[in-house]
Amino acid sequence: MEYKKVCLMYRHEDYALDGIRSALGLAVENMYAYGVVMDKEIDELDELNQESIEMLRDMEGEVFSTVAANVEKNGFEAITIEELGEKLREMTHIVPYGIK
Amino acid sequence: MAKSLGIFVTTPDNLDHVIGITKAAKAKGSNVKVFFTWKATTLAKDPKFPGLCKLADDVSICVDSYKKQGFSVDDVPEGLDPKKMATQAQHGIIIEDFDCYLSL
Amino acid sequence: MKILNVYRSEPDETVQKLVEIVTRDREADTFDLYAGNPDYDALVDKIFAADQTICWW
Repeated sequence: MEYKKVCLMYRHEDYALDGIRSALGLAVENMYAYGVVMDKEIDELDELNQESIEMLRDMEGEVFSTVAANVEKNGFEAITIEELGEKLREMTHIVPYGIK
Repeated sequence: MAKSLGIFVTTPDNLDHVIGITKAAKAKGSNVKVFFTWKATTLAKDPKFPGLCKLADDVSICVDSYKKQGFSVDDVPEGLDPKKMATQAQHGIIIEDFDCYLSL
Repeated sequence: MKILNVYRSEPDETVQKLVEIVTRDREADTFDLYAGNPDYDALVDKIFAADQTICWW
């Protein structure tokens, strides 16, 4: 069985947290799920959201960010637009989530 | 036989597109499932929403998102089957079981 | 692999860059959802003909 690979990308700060939750929901359904916080700096995550990301990592998912402040503050994996583009090529489903 | 289509709705601005695409896909004999999450769950209160529920084969919303948008779980949107006040697993079904995928 | 890029608004530099990489050496089609009254019938035909549809912001 081939597992689905899904990448959700967030460009608006009001959509990032729920989008990460959505990625976690897919990981629970046995998919490779990735979230990418783009463009905007988001607040430091609370314990509950950090736990969600840890759960996502336990299921081989990850949250990336193109914004250095998010990497420093929230421990996201750094990614450039070029690297993201290459990663998207491997995905079965690409989800530009919410608004920009 | 027409391909099946799953639509994942994350924004509150695209209901007309959801309805237009669903209508066109149904006219081609497609099986269409729509799932609303986060701010898009506010669309369940749009006057056009009950019509979409009749048009599509399956419409569901993320009940957790709906609550976070300020609605009560007991306030079932008109046209929606109460069992379709559901979880993110609905998104998983769209990805796993439908031929074509669209996010709006 | 045939990719359909659907645009909900005019693609900015970031989207253009991502589309360029994702569609490299692949067959690609586009549909502008933001332009006036979209032809949903034509869009659904394109979705059915594609292996993957990406609906950009």
